[in-house]
Amino acid sequence: MAMERKLSEMDYDEEGTVTEIEEYLRRRVAGMGIRVGKKLRVVTKQPIKGPVDVIVDGAETSLGLDMAEKITVEVA
Amino acid sequence: MKILLMGHPNVGKSVFFNRLTGANVTESNYPGTTVDYTKGWMKIDGKDVELVDVPGTFSLDPKDKAEEVAVAMLHENRGALVISVIDASKIERGLYLALEIIEEGYPLVIALNMRDVAEDKNILIDADKLERILDIPVVSTVAISGEGIKELVSRVKEAKPVDVDDIISNATKAADVGAAGDVP
Repeated sequence: MAMERKLSEMDYDEEGTVTEIEEYLRRRVAGMGIRVGKKLRVVTKQPIKGPVDVIVDGAETSLGLDMAEKITVEVA
Repeated sequence: MKILLMGHPNVGKSVFFNRLTGANVTESNYPGTTVDYTKGWMKIDGKDVELVDVPGTFSLDPKDKAEEVAVAMLHENRGALVISVIDASKIERGLYLALEIIEEGYPLVIALNMRDVAEDKNILIDADKLERILDIPVVSTVAISGEGIKELVSRVKEAKPVDVDDIISNATKAADVGAAGDVP
């Protein structure tokens, strides 16, 4: 069953499709390949507010937790 | 004329820079920052042209000091020509930045670098088709081995500003042709 979650709350190896990105962040993350409709997978997750690493289009990108909190993903 | 080498971090800009320039390279800090950049000279058709290795940036919306410097350098060189270096294995986000620079009206050539790395990942790019869509030179390169560098240099003079609306209409046409089955 599909459900929406913040990227910051996704678990290791979880996959999903981006459904929403807060307006002010949209252009910034677009340059890193993250846009609404993109499929991504979480590849590492660090403890203590560390960055979230994701794979989009076969390429790895890491996002600060504060950015990941502003991105909503529909988890498959 | 001045040429700016721009692209994401770690796409091979500096390898290009070293291949394209000879002696007389200077490295300095961008005024008021600890961000450094390199500039040198290259020859195009026998003429000396200044080449600047701009710090890597993901977009023209800077997230940190280095990206701010990259964007500032672009904006204070309004008459410059840009060589957009793209990691061919991460072409989509590379094109995002290239299109942002095109939108601001700069003449551009694209180097699809790391062609070998992309092919190892089974990513094959039709550079000719991309060139027809964007209407600017697109050259596949492997900067570390020198592949494509000569072609890139010989085509720098074909760089020109393009209108994003024209790119969209070219892309739509190309997609229609693809859908009709004319292009594999």
